[in-house]
Amino acid sequence: MGQIILGVGDYGASNIQEDSIKTFALGSCVSVIFLDPKTRCVGMAHIALPDSTINKVKATEKPGYFADTAIPELLAQMAKLGCDKRGKGIIVKLCGGANVMDTNDTFQIGKRNALAIKKILWSYGMGAIAEDLGGNYSRTVSISVAAGQVILSSPGKPNWQL
Amino acid sequence: MVKKINPAELQKIVSSVPMISASASRLLQITSQPDHDIMDVVNLVKTDANLTARILKVVNSAAYGLVNQITSVDRAVSYLGQQVIVSIAIESCAGELFAKELSGYEAVGGDLWKHDLRTAIAAREVVIQSGADLSPDLAFTAGLLHDIGKALISDYLRGSAPDAVELISSHDSLDYLAAEEHLVGVDHTIAGEALAMAWQLPPELITVIRHHHQPALAEEAWRPLVYAVHLGDSIAMMGGFGTGSDSMRYKLDPHYADFFPINATILANVMLVVDTEFNKLSESLSDTGEKS
Repeated sequence: MGQIILGVGDYGASNIQEDSIKTFALGSCVSVIFLDPKTRCVGMAHIALPDSTINKVKATEKPGYFADTAIPELLAQMAKLGCDKRGKGIIVKLCGGANVMDTNDTFQIGKRNALAIKKILWSYGMGAIAEDLGGNYSRTVSISVAAGQVILSSPGKPNWQL
Repeated sequence: MVKKINPAELQKIVSSVPMISASASRLLQITSQPDHDIMDVVNLVKTDANLTARILKVVNSAAYGLVNQITSVDRAVSYLGQQVIVSIAIESCAGELFAKELSGYEAVGGDLWKHDLRTAIAAREVVIQSGADLSPDLAFTAGLLHDIGKALISDYLRGSAPDAVELISSHDSLDYLAAEEHLVGVDHTIAGEALAMAWQLPPELITVIRHHHQPALAEEAWRPLVYAVHLGDSIAMMGGFGTGSDSMRYKLDPHYADFFPINATILANVMLVVDTEFNKLSESLSDTGEKS
């Protein structure tokens, strides 16, 4: 195996030590990252919108697209690799959720995504231990299975770790 | 040290860009007219063998999955629709410009095309879903061309992305447009306008290229069109399809609401449609080796 690339609305998990999971250009989208120290597996979802009720067909075709369908699916993927199906013990990190500058409430999709994700995580008794959310720049994020390192990058800035 | 672009230098840059083809220029003029006849588009395509060949290649590509091949231009144009025809025409005559690696923005080759295509689809969808009295297809065409100026000034901005980001973070520059002007003397809308004028594009397209970040400054007659592309641009960036270091680093003008009554639900639906349509259009254009 090697590098798993996720697009918008994709999600994936791996416990293969040589793997890494990466997703590009998070604008208002949010990347939810799960790390399980017990099973040493990691997972990621690239979430675009908060609520699947606006399009149930899309939610069925691509559950990773919406916060309310992505998180249960990502947990299910992690459970296939031996993780607790309710997320117990899983470390959560969040990044993305940017907005254009001086935006009004309507266009704060990044903020709405972040809030929706946190609400759903809370329903599982989960919460993020680290987050890099908001701002007005796009992010690319990757995580290595072996080290569990979460590396972020954005054009015009040096890389940083979450 | 970043070299400044003075007016003479800008004219030199514009002169070095190949002229848009006569067919593409005429196509843009025709499709900019709200009451144009589709037969005018068909007849124009028929006069250009290269454009005809490309259009037939796209319509018969795997992306459309037609059981029986289409061999007539009339049927091909009708089947594909104006968006695809205009996309093919622009790509065929300005493809190199859109494929250019925007090193000045730390963006890879192809990012400009993807961003402009996404903006075009978003601008069109904003018009459709808000029910505004504006041609969706014109919004699409304007969106496709709005950022052409970035290809002209990118080389001059090489290495300056961290400086631009710092200028904005420290509030020395209001947005990336101001940062470009500070660093190289012109911003991408001025460069794009100069190119659009050299290409003799219709005035409404020139206005969009010049004012898509400050739509309130556009001539009143074209303001709704400019705001449509302004929104489309923001939606493309929010969807992760910007052009590198400037992505998201522009202000949203709230007066879009004067023309487009968009709430959070409409916006979410627009973003969903944009995602689907972009994948479809990208696939159909890339199946034949066109930009994707």
